[in-house]
Amino acid sequence: MAATILKEDGAYHSFCGLTCVGWLYQKIKDSFFLVLGTHTCAHLLQNVLGVMVFARPRFGVALIEEADLSKPQPDLAALIDEIVADHHPSVIFLLSSCTPEVMKVEFEGLARSLSRPDLPVLFVPASGLEYTFSQAEDSVLQALLPFCPMAAPDDRRVVFLGSVNDAIADDFRVEATRLGIPVAGFLPDNHFSALPPIGPATIVAPLQPYLAKVAGRLARERGATVLSSLFPFGPDGTRAFWEDLAAAMGIAVDLRERERQAWERLEPHLAILRGKRVLFTADNLMELPLARFLKNAGCTILECSSPYINRKFHARELAALDGVRIVEQPDFDRQVHDIDLLQPDLVISNLATTNPLVGRGVVAKWSTEFSFMPIHGWSGAATLAGMFTRPLQRHRRLDPLAHDPVWLAGMMS
Amino acid sequence: MRLALWMYQGTAHHGVGRIANSMRGVHAVFHAPQGDDYVNPIFTMLERTPDFPRMTTSIVSGRDLAQGTVRLPETLRKVEARLHPDVIIVCASCSTILLQEDLERIARSAATRAEVLVYDANPYRMQEIRAADGLFDLLARRYARAQSLTPAPSVNILGPASLGFHNRSDLICLRRMLATLGVQVNVVAPQGASVGDLERLPAAWATIAPYRELGQGAARWLEEQFGVPALTDAPIGVQPTLGWLGRLVETLNDVGARNERRPAPLRMPPLTAFSLDGMSAPSAVPWFARTADMESYSTKRAFVFGDATHTVGMVKFLHDELGMQIAGAGTYLEYEAAWVAQQLAQYLPQDGAGPQLLVTDVFQQVAQRIAELSPELVCGTQMERHACRKLDLPCMVIAPPTHIENHLLSYRPILGFDGADTLADEVYTTATLGMEKHLIDMFGDAGLEYGETQGKGGVTEEERAGTNDGTQGAEGEAEHSRVNSSSSHPTTTSPVHPVWSGDALVMLKKVPFFVRGRVQKNVERYAAQHGYATITAEILIEAREALGG
Repeated sequence: MAATILKEDGAYHSFCGLTCVGWLYQKIKDSFFLVLGTHTCAHLLQNVLGVMVFARPRFGVALIEEADLSKPQPDLAALIDEIVADHHPSVIFLLSSCTPEVMKVEFEGLARSLSRPDLPVLFVPASGLEYTFSQAEDSVLQALLPFCPMAAPDDRRVVFLGSVNDAIADDFRVEATRLGIPVAGFLPDNHFSALPPIGPATIVAPLQPYLAKVAGRLARERGATVLSSLFPFGPDGTRAFWEDLAAAMGIAVDLRERERQAWERLEPHLAILRGKRVLFTADNLMELPLARFLKNAGCTILECSSPYINRKFHARELAALDGVRIVEQPDFDRQVHDIDLLQPDLVISNLATTNPLVGRGVVAKWSTEFSFMPIHGWSGAATLAGMFTRPLQRHRRLDPLAHDPVWLAGMMS
Repeated sequence: MRLALWMYQGTAHHGVGRIANSMRGVHAVFHAPQGDDYVNPIFTMLERTPDFPRMTTSIVSGRDLAQGTVRLPETLRKVEARLHPDVIIVCASCSTILLQEDLERIARSAATRAEVLVYDANPYRMQEIRAADGLFDLLARRYARAQSLTPAPSVNILGPASLGFHNRSDLICLRRMLATLGVQVNVVAPQGASVGDLERLPAAWATIAPYRELGQGAARWLEEQFGVPALTDAPIGVQPTLGWLGRLVETLNDVGARNERRPAPLRMPPLTAFSLDGMSAPSAVPWFARTADMESYSTKRAFVFGDATHTVGMVKFLHDELGMQIAGAGTYLEYEAAWVAQQLAQYLPQDGAGPQLLVTDVFQQVAQRIAELSPELVCGTQMERHACRKLDLPCMVIAPPTHIENHLLSYRPILGFDGADTLADEVYTTATLGMEKHLIDMFGDAGLEYGETQGKGGVTEEERAGTNDGTQGAEGEAEHSRVNSSSSHPTTTSPVHPVWSGDALVMLKKVPFFVRGRVQKNVERYAAQHGYATITAEILIEAREALGG
């Protein structure tokens, strides 16, 4: 089944790829993320992620100032010394941003020239000219790819793809062991030195839906098999994920009962979700699996928009969303018009647009938050469902005053 | 090239967005990559705007650059169709400005009915504050029209703006004082002003522009061009407010005296008329400062850091009205350094060459100065609050940049009599108390020792109230405990580092934990100065006698 994907002008609200630093610097504990950028990049990270205030974060912006604009190649050697002295990282990720892209800084060569035998400096394309939000994690993992050891041709184990926190990683290890699936590791792991071996017998199981390119490269360059399944969100996705992964390993498992029980436990949430009309405006690149979960939970998906859709990597999710209006690179103005017209029960939207949408009388929820919550697998299902039901319940509790505009008077002159 | 970790100001296009979002019928369009749209949530999150902020990013993608596509005209037409603004301000971003496109020509090609102004906000030459002030100045000059004065005495209030520091409360406070005087408000701008309002600016009898950072250029221009006198001092504190009221009345009466219709001169009403209930003192600060409880503030030293207006106002208030000592001050606005230094010449401690004003936008240098001074109160920005948490020093936020916690719902002005009360309360609740402190100092055991591991009050509210990031709380906690475990070792140490003998260390442990770090450092400095390699109990006593505590 080939779903129809509408494509619009891309005037949606989201963040640039640099925001992936916010979780990846914490995930890869012996790393440093160096953005070659301007005051704008620093102001972005400071405000949007609110993380720059910590004493010595393992990331920073090499600041391009006016005098640097005329230089052909920036000189970062002194900064690298400073970073090494302060942080002793095992790897430095050098992220591009819009200005050096426009200046045509030759990043590959720059990263190579800054690399030291014991300290690789890896170029990560992340600029807002090309990359949206979590998409830049794909670039980081691609940069790590050459450092994954080559696995033996008969090493038939799974590598989970995508950054998840330790608790989720433990969950997936335990679950795999229970099903008899041997685990080679996670890409990324918590440390640069602990990257998993990947070879022709490896099964790569993507945990995050925004990693199409690195998955493709793992197949091409290492001959690995990329699991084509649903992403492990919600009881439906989690069951499909594990059954398909086991099948790829030659193991037959039947998780129907497990899924039934998982849905049963979600019943209080499902009672709220059933029949609700939901619209995704596009932001975190997790929209397809999230909408598919809601559809299976009994919601009507009015529109599922995402900044980037890959027909191959997202094939199963697209098939599961058959009949749903799917838009890539949507036009936010058109969406607001549709929201006014359709009055969805719930809109999932970027940080910038959520409060104004609430101001228009719809219940809206931050899409950004889904990137930072443990919503994977069997154990994440309740958290996932709760993220949709909490705003619905809350607005229902608070409702009586919402429709009289007097309570918004003066809030925006 | 330097490593940037924290910015005291936003970018130029953020400044442009602040002006557009303040005004009605004005919309900003950023010719920029999608990433530059990040300024949008600063408004919707901090100010919780119930409508879309008045700014749109006209997206420039890598593909557009490769294909030569320019979406700006289409964006301008869409903005016009959707919002019908009177003026659209177009500006480039740090990346698109390098493309050297003729934005004037491109914008003209959109053929919008709305006026389109291309604002040359070079992000490599100006940051948020100058970009905002420059744009407002430009708009005022463009739209103000010569006209006769309003029949009754009236003023313009220039400066309040979107994301300004306590601007909403300041505006309420100014309006209350003006109403008490019987003075009408002609135009408030940029907050809430339309282009039509800017046209009416010259009808006012005077202009109030209390913030150095925004509106004073326009106020002075109105004075030069139309003879509308500008009152550009900030009424921060009770005495400055009294002086300001006096000058305002005098200024308006001068204008009135030249008026052919000879209006009755304004008179200062009894001061109680300025209080919230109309019967009390307009501010409780003069009495509060004289109460016995506040005597201990004579020995408290404060360090103040921020923008120009609030740094100067706060230093004077702490010194003149609360009777505190000033340990030092500074600003991140380099171009205002001369004015701040001149204003504070009599307030700053003389340090050999003269008063030392710290002028820097590198937050680590500010943190280092605070660590060196170990003051009893720090007034700073959100960044100093973080620095002070690590140093275990009390800090209050008196200037932007702010955190969501500085955008509270209640009436908390900085200006006027009400502002003096707000500031005094904030100082009082931030600094360590008086009598209570004596008791703790005297006996050293108030059961507070748990604080040593937990940190002062275990304050992590900024993480809890963080803008978006679910992982932020955990990160903050971790950082907090890590920092506190080493908080007894201040970051700055003298080159000669005396060692502590066992008996002296036992005595040091008896000093209450929240002053122990400072006592330790002072004694170490004393020992180093006097050439003692080991601090014994005798030397500790000698040092405490010499240092007076």
